[in-house]
Amino acid sequence: MAQSNFDRRRINGPEESFQPTFEDDDDRETRWKPGNPRIGRGARDIRPIFLTAGLINQANGSAYIETEKTKIACAVYGPRQSKSTTYNEKGRLNVEVKFSPFSCTRRRVPIRDAEDRSVAVQIQQALVPAVRLELLPKSTIDIFITIIENDGIEGCIAAGSVAASAALADAGIEMLGLVASCSAAVVGKEIWLDPTEEEGKASSGTLILAGMPALGTITSVWQSGSMTPADGIKCMEACQERYTDIHAVIAQSLLDNAQNNT
Amino acid sequence: MSSDIVLPGQPIPIPRGPIPQVGSGVYSRDGTVRASLIGVPSYAGSTLEIKRTRPRPPAPNSVVLGSVTRLSPLQAVVSINVVDGVPLPAGEEFTGVIRVQDVRATEKDKVKIADCFRGGDVVRGLVLSLGDARSYYVTTARNDLGVIFATSEAGATMEPVSWQEMRCPKTGKIEKRKCAKPEGM
Amino acid sequence: MAAAASATPSGSNSAEQDALKALTFQRLHPRTYLERFLAENVRPDGRYFDEWRDISVNVGSISTADGSALVRLGSTTVVCGVKAEIAEPELDRPKDGFLVPNLDLPAICSPKFKPGPPTDEAQVLSDRLNEVLVSSGVVPTSSLCIEPGKAVWVLYVDTTCINYDGNAFDATLLAMVAALKNTTLPKATYDEDRHRTVCSRKIREPLQIGRLPTSYSFGIFDGTHVLADPTSFEEPLLDTTVSVVVDNNGGLISVMQLGLGIVGGDDVLSQCIDAAKDCWDKGRRDVYGAS
Repeated sequence: MAQSNFDRRRINGPEESFQPTFEDDDDRETRWKPGNPRIGRGARDIRPIFLTAGLINQANGSAYIETEKTKIACAVYGPRQSKSTTYNEKGRLNVEVKFSPFSCTRRRVPIRDAEDRSVAVQIQQALVPAVRLELLPKSTIDIFITIIENDGIEGCIAAGSVAASAALADAGIEMLGLVASCSAAVVGKEIWLDPTEEEGKASSGTLILAGMPALGTITSVWQSGSMTPADGIKCMEACQERYTDIHAVIAQSLLDNAQNNT
Repeated sequence: MSSDIVLPGQPIPIPRGPIPQVGSGVYSRDGTVRASLIGVPSYAGSTLEIKRTRPRPPAPNSVVLGSVTRLSPLQAVVSINVVDGVPLPAGEEFTGVIRVQDVRATEKDKVKIADCFRGGDVVRGLVLSLGDARSYYVTTARNDLGVIFATSEAGATMEPVSWQEMRCPKTGKIEKRKCAKPEGM
Repeated sequence: MAAAASATPSGSNSAEQDALKALTFQRLHPRTYLERFLAENVRPDGRYFDEWRDISVNVGSISTADGSALVRLGSTTVVCGVKAEIAEPELDRPKDGFLVPNLDLPAICSPKFKPGPPTDEAQVLSDRLNEVLVSSGVVPTSSLCIEPGKAVWVLYVDTTCINYDGNAFDATLLAMVAALKNTTLPKATYDEDRHRTVCSRKIREPLQIGRLPTSYSFGIFDGTHVLADPTSFEEPLLDTTVSVVVDNNGGLISVMQLGLGIVGGDDVLSQCIDAAKDCWDKGRRDVYGAS
């Protein structure tokens, strides 16, 4: 990928540089082929989640999440005074996502692009129904997410929503419940949960579900690619089955953090 | 006691009897009372609540501390730093405005803003209302509200002499401010 | 600097009230607050003037980067990743590769930074880091040559700050050098016939590393007090900051002044240089691990 942006605010390299191309010298037997079972875990297994709250002491609330090769840091600032010129009875939730340049296989230019914004919108949609914004008139809550390492964009969105929900709770912002989120992919005839980047590429369609397990409600469903409606519903059900596990992880890490602070 | 910590969305066990009033940090839906903050639920009288410990935005009847940033004949603009005794993080201030009719309780039409506040003064005020889109409305019309800290033209910290005068210890000069009654008097 | 009073069921007690009053005073009169601590020969976080915060360095945890490091200097946390790409060298320097360091201070790390393009602070720091990396010869650019005149490596050394509690310069230099030391490049061969470079997936070689610089920053307060490793509370109150860069043999690489203000005389500078060498000797000889 050629990078020909000259950014006068940063140190710049040469006008054009390219990602290294590799010879096909390694054995690709380990590569997955359609019809084979999943490599490394069961079809309905999600990657183990490691979540800690409160690592960023400059922010009101923060959380760091790691699921194998996906690493995301999230900080919550606010409630802050809204910069808008109109009077808002309900508070606003502003989510900004940034991919570190070294987070993906191909280096990302530090300038924000459409993918950053689309991830931010999806995370915002997952969180907005859960936050009691009517208690924060004229205020904005800023959620900043930095993706340190990315292994599957669906996993990033799901993990980002989980980290943001933990960070909001850590920041003492009133919520109706904790938000858990899970992603699924249709690979061949099977439904695999929590796809990695390679698995996502091999799938025909993906689905990300977010909701509040404590209340039994869903806050956001996002489907991309192609799948039959029946598969779509199967994906949603599979995600919901995993909810309680994810919610338990969030709850445990928040409790540990709260107990460490008392 | 730490095992009593509840998380947002978690139902709070209530003893039998009437459902208590729902206070801050707690909400009720479909007959179940759930927490909306991380904390330990407690009863303030008959109201169930979870105490907020984080910095919070100003709300009507909050006591705020702020520094005066701009003056005009009709109002003093204040940058609110401390709300209800909890300081806000650096860089996150709220804008408040003290209008000429809210400076003091008596002789409201004879108020001259320049005789009450100067730029850089630290003022204690009470939030009247959410105000408009840009600022909260703040009042200093009470004995214990007004300027609590000011530096004189010579650069020294002034001492309050009366409710409308402060004295510079270096030069002995009197400057006019709407002072707050110091605590313990 | 959020007020971290814990939720007690019995309401606030006087110790909590005192803590809040102290925080309020710190918020309203930061300079006087700092002066009162300095008068007792201590700083607000309890350190002595010449005391450094704890450092922890963690390398190689990011699989998408060719080399990476996570550094914690007290609470200041930075993550650095090295990505290698291939480019044509400059016409007048056919055997030299490129080293492109950048520091990002995004809104996530502090309430002081708002979202948007790099602030002046980030730009100045990136510039100074570039100077130090080039002048210290951490990675000789001639070692990045694949085929003279045709293909060279470009090392993008990007650092993101996750938590900003002052002294990003020292933490970032540490992270960049540690990440470079951790970097391995695939073995690359230039194919004359097809005019392109092909890399091997199996064979990876570490970078050729020259000197290993470490940096020591001091804040000058009120023209007289020299505070090592300033925090984000102290930084806005300082007259200026002096950074001393020392290599892995204790030799001096450079002395820089960051920020406005005047350093009071040569003795302040030599005080900083001596303190830096002392700190290197006592604690930082092995900070990059066994070389």
